[in-house]
Amino acid sequence: MSDITIYSAKRILTMNRSNPLATHVAVRDGMILGAGALEDLTGWEPYTVDDRFAGKVLMPGMIEGHAHAMEGAVWQDEYVGYYDRVSPDGDSKPGLKSIDEVIDYLSKVDAAMDEPEEALIAWGFDPIYFGGRRMVAADLDRISSTRPILVVHASFHIVNVNTAVLTRANVTAETNVMGIMKDADGKVTGELQGMPARFIVTSAIGREHFVEMGQEGSLWRFARSAQLAGVTTSTDLANDFAEATLANMKKLTSRADYPLRIVPAFLSNTRPPEEGVEMVRRILPESSDKLRFGLVKMVSDGSIQGFTARLMEPGYYNGAPNGLWYIEPDEIPRILNAYHGAGLQVHVHTNGDQATDVVLDAMEDALREFPNPDARFTIQHCQMAHESHYRKMARLGVCANLFANHLFYWGDEHYEQTMGPERACRMNATGTAKRLGVPFTIHSDAPITPLAPLFTAWCAVNRTTVSGRVLGEEERISVEDALEAVTLGAAYTLKLDGEIGSIEAGKRADFAVLEDDPLEAGADGLKDVRVWGTVVGGEIFDNAAITGS
Amino acid sequence: MTQGDDRIPLTVIGGFLGAGKTTLLNRVLSDNHGIRFAVLVNDFGDLPVDTSLVTDHDGETLTFANGCLCCTMGDNLMKTLSDLAMRTEPPEHILIEASGVADPRPILDLGTLHPRLRRDLSLVLVDAETIHDRAEDVRLKETVDRQIAAADVILINKCDVVDEATVAAVRAWLRKRVPDAHIVETMQAAIPLDLVFAGDGSPEPMSRPVAANDHDHVDHGTQFRSVTVVPENPMTRLAIEQWMSVLPPSVLRVKGYIAAENDPGSVFLVQRVGNRLDLSVCPAQGKTPGVVFIGSADLPDADWIGRRCVA
Ligand SMILES: [Zn+2]
Repeated sequence: MSDITIYSAKRILTMNRSNPLATHVAVRDGMILGAGALEDLTGWEPYTVDDRFAGKVLMPGMIEGHAHAMEGAVWQDEYVGYYDRVSPDGDSKPGLKSIDEVIDYLSKVDAAMDEPEEALIAWGFDPIYFGGRRMVAADLDRISSTRPILVVHASFHIVNVNTAVLTRANVTAETNVMGIMKDADGKVTGELQGMPARFIVTSAIGREHFVEMGQEGSLWRFARSAQLAGVTTSTDLANDFAEATLANMKKLTSRADYPLRIVPAFLSNTRPPEEGVEMVRRILPESSDKLRFGLVKMVSDGSIQGFTARLMEPGYYNGAPNGLWYIEPDEIPRILNAYHGAGLQVHVHTNGDQATDVVLDAMEDALREFPNPDARFTIQHCQMAHESHYRKMARLGVCANLFANHLFYWGDEHYEQTMGPERACRMNATGTAKRLGVPFTIHSDAPITPLAPLFTAWCAVNRTTVSGRVLGEEERISVEDALEAVTLGAAYTLKLDGEIGSIEAGKRADFAVLEDDPLEAGADGLKDVRVWGTVVGGEIFDNAAITGS
Repeated sequence: MTQGDDRIPLTVIGGFLGAGKTTLLNRVLSDNHGIRFAVLVNDFGDLPVDTSLVTDHDGETLTFANGCLCCTMGDNLMKTLSDLAMRTEPPEHILIEASGVADPRPILDLGTLHPRLRRDLSLVLVDAETIHDRAEDVRLKETVDRQIAAADVILINKCDVVDEATVAAVRAWLRKRVPDAHIVETMQAAIPLDLVFAGDGSPEPMSRPVAANDHDHVDHGTQFRSVTVVPENPMTRLAIEQWMSVLPPSVLRVKGYIAAENDPGSVFLVQRVGNRLDLSVCPAQGKTPGVVFIGSADLPDADWIGRRCVA
């Protein structure tokens, strides 16, 4: 007979509607035997009571329904974003408030590097906060004229480089290529976009930087980043199923000391669907309790702040031309059907309302052709969906994973430039989803924004922008609903709600261990609730082991 | 066989699903045109290739009896392209099938950036039967605009399934949107591959002997013609640029050598596709001056073109 441990806690928020609050939880072999008062659990014998969490608050381990394993890869580089951000080592990296601050910081990093030719790579840079001033090669040349320097923007679609990079890639004023920005005098500014950016960077540093996300070190950082935020399960949305990545994921998730369950979604966009179906089917039997295959992701359009999302009338508020499809709209039904018809669950990225509209129609048709009342199609981001879309989603059983963090980080831009007041106020309409019974969760899209579901919950509860504006009071949800969204809500979209997402008998012993009570912290304090660590399948992970404090 | 420029020309073929990209590529892979093309596609599954023509199948690459290769792009077009260009026996021309919603230009730009490649042509197929509906479709209209704007040459395909008035209307509609567009009408994407894709830097269209000055070569069954003009005198860069700038949109491609004024040892290598002119100087030795003009049925005759050359 295996050991039974009964943990006592200050309070346990179970997310189990029939037993919402408890003080004790009994665990055996990584599984929950029950939650309640001590006397509700002592029938499980023989047990030992463990009081290490007696002063803490437990809730189900949080579940991030839309993040990327790249969250681990980016931290091998230097963070130069505008906001403070916690690294997977627990360091709080201060936000850099001007281009000069970025240059000063990178100069210090440069000085500490031994190899003069080794590339210096930074990420998270966002010039929208710098009043129109863009970074140019000359800024970065102040740091070094020999070392290749790359500053990747927060969107991950733009990169600034120094002259050393341009020289290595033979880029001159005569190079006329879309995506290589030039100033009014025809001089290359050092700001690069798209495929040319990727090509130039690769030729300058001699390797493809961003395919390194599946390395072991990156996967460890991904898991630590999750642990620090109280996350015990995260999607990797999406994954191209490179062999090395899969091998590393299998190896690490089989270790008891790896603190994260990963749900990789197969990225369908780069493969013919028939081939994709085969790839997912082949790997399905290799799923384990901490690594779940079977999910498929499609990407239909671009982003709103990049003006590449596909919008219905009246289009972009500032008059920008309509965005880009990443799949031919007439192809979406065929691809969706191929995966859905093979019995695989499909999540589709849409940002603009036109993309949501087209994708929802395709989902409706797919459900007619291959009826499956529990398909749980999920629309990822789904930022601009109308109330009519939510009504349709409710009828079809389609879930939404809403990008609540956007409200804070880009809400002011949406209000002023992309969507205008009315539509900005109904973006990421968690209130509507709740009211109409659409199963929903909320996400960070880490590393685009920080992996921290309590902050994401705060965004959905308050809908406050950087400037303090409230975007759509009507769409706010309660603290309880937001906490459910980042636990059971996310589990539902992954078809894992029978296993994780609440603290109740028969589920995996995955807990977020908190210093403060989120219900007491309330709407204002939710984002400041301190995370002590996590429990994953009964294994205890103390954040102090990472932060060293 | 290549002279003056040994980079591999890169061509992107765009157009919506059903416009005829697959038909065109299938011909590239099965016809005996004498050019070793490498064709990059998203999906083998879409190509109804005659398997008896496949001589080798190695994972991501099919080799065909006519020497052409067909590879899937996989998830890293850049790497696939680089690997092809760096082969010990590289292809003579690379064609990339772009998806209906992809902008061909950034893909072509890899031909500008990669030292072993040369940006050649963006060819966009439009379906005479459906293009009008697509241009009116709120989901697709900007994509149609982008595609057309990105084309060096637009092929109005499926001209056999609609009446003449429809073709004329499509042509007029395209002309209105892109006044200097190079437009060609075809059926079953039947274009002479050696004419349209012969952008390998050699002055003559491959495998098609070009006869003396003023010979007017008509490709029967299609709407393509080529003429050759030999400028009487050496020319300056500026004069060549001026000459090229007065050519009508029916001229799809220009290639050849022109003796350089004030520099008897050199010739200009002239390569123009769509409206993009590429002029470089190379040693005159072994190069016969003469310029080939390839175009659609309404291409002017050699005399007309020659008269506009004011050296
Ligand atoms: Zn994402």
